[in-house]
Amino acid sequence: MQIHLPIAEMSVSAEIIFLVSAFVGFLSGVFGIGGGFLTTPFLIFTGIPPGIAVGTQASQLVASSVSGAIGHWRRNNVDIKMGLVMLTGGIMGSFVGIMIFKLLEFFGQVDFAISLIYVVLLSSIGIMMLIETVFSKFFKKKNVRQEFNTLRVSPFIASLPYKMRFPRSKLFISALVPGGIGFIGGILASVLGIGGGFLLVPAMIYILGMPTLLVAGTSLFQIIFTTASATIMHAVFNNTVDMVLAIILILGGVIGAQLGISAARFVKPTQARIIMAIMVLLVAAQLSYKLFVEPSELFSTLVWP
Amino acid sequence: MMRGFVILVGVFLLSDFAVAQDKALTVNLAQDSVDISTGFNGAKLSLFGVKEKRGHVAVVIKGPLKNVLVRQKNSVFGVWMNNVSIAFDDVPQFYDYALSDKEENILDEDALKSNGIGLSSLKFKAEENSLKPDEIDAFASALVRNKQVAGLFPMEARDIVFLSDTFFKAEFYVPPNVPTGDYVIETFLINDGDVLDKNETRVRVAQVGLSSSVYQFAHSYSLAYGLFIVFIAVIAGWLSNVVRQRTS
Repeated sequence: MQIHLPIAEMSVSAEIIFLVSAFVGFLSGVFGIGGGFLTTPFLIFTGIPPGIAVGTQASQLVASSVSGAIGHWRRNNVDIKMGLVMLTGGIMGSFVGIMIFKLLEFFGQVDFAISLIYVVLLSSIGIMMLIETVFSKFFKKKNVRQEFNTLRVSPFIASLPYKMRFPRSKLFISALVPGGIGFIGGILASVLGIGGGFLLVPAMIYILGMPTLLVAGTSLFQIIFTTASATIMHAVFNNTVDMVLAIILILGGVIGAQLGISAARFVKPTQARIIMAIMVLLVAAQLSYKLFVEPSELFSTLVWP
Repeated sequence: MMRGFVILVGVFLLSDFAVAQDKALTVNLAQDSVDISTGFNGAKLSLFGVKEKRGHVAVVIKGPLKNVLVRQKNSVFGVWMNNVSIAFDDVPQFYDYALSDKEENILDEDALKSNGIGLSSLKFKAEENSLKPDEIDAFASALVRNKQVAGLFPMEARDIVFLSDTFFKAEFYVPPNVPTGDYVIETFLINDGDVLDKNETRVRVAQVGLSSSVYQFAHSYSLAYGLFIVFIAVIAGWLSNVVRQRTS
């Protein structure tokens, strides 16, 4: 069924968008990821302008992070104070991200920048996941995460001002560090249409030294606010949030995630990680093809006010 | 059904003609607007006409004029990125035309061009730039090519169908991605290279219903619109969590 998107002013196949968002939702249910990094490039492949893809995908991430964060909240796995400091940075970051996006748009480099950042991020994450999976196979007895967790905070971070106490995480650390991590997450949300969990989670573990138990819930908690602020700012500054597309994405994502969570019981973690890593690398390969191989059409047109 | 409709339009046109006897050309659109609603998947635009003198007929449909930026990708340090661009002024966002005969049989090239009939009659004025004329031509032809791929420019002229010696029909198709705005439809009656009569009519392409409301909402109250979408997302996320709690 073709459906007309009022903001993108184009028709798309509702089934295809729904199925893809449900598939990504399914993966997010199985692997506990947001999946923005899969949906945004897909939307761009289908011909939806990058601005609309990024702005609208941000709204879908609000739904998936709310859904995920509630569970962690119930289990009391959210460091609210830490989350608030991070989301303060996150909201500022999402504003800066919108400005960066507008600048890229002006110079006609949105496609290029998004593809390039994705290729760098996805290929490094994919490779890291593969290495970690193989690594943990050989050293099954040891818990890798806990070992890293005992790392001491670097002297540079310890020297930063505005120190704050975070009782839940048992940390005494400069507010600039979690604020800065949130800031980067906010930029990613606005420019790439992703929650940035895959970057925030390791940063919170390795840089902040937060207890792993609190990391997922706290990052989801603050992703709600950065993606919400990215959505609102895309709507206000760029008019690039399409309600019809958003509803299809949200529905697909929610339904897919339900199925994914039920399926997660039957998936072996090691296998799941390898499949995930391969998928991430495939998306990276597809995007780098676009970057490095001469396109069949060199010219593009757009209405210029 | 269609035949009955055609006859009806024909009768209407002939009665119209009876009032204005001096006109050599009478045309009427089957519809004077294209409504884009949520289920919109392109539309057909039919134009009926009666000619009272000998001659060829040409119909041109033109969308709203906009400035268009054409960008060219080049290899920069091994990656392909946009690095040259030219803006063209007043490019029709949609263009199509229909002829009752081959182009060269109707008018000579100059006359076609001066009346804006045919793709080659479209002249795009480049805004100030530092490129050579042949490079600008490459951009202009890329503009046409891109528009053709998007279905907004024609590959070749459409045929005008004569239902009788004097009664004709031209059919155009507007694709789902058709730009909104006022479209001008010009009909020419041409004999021996002279334009005997010319008719101009307009059709409005606009979003209606839900699409229009959403568009208005998003552009007039963008903050409320953004908040509303976030609200929908929060509710959806919360509901999905409730369902999960119930089922597990």
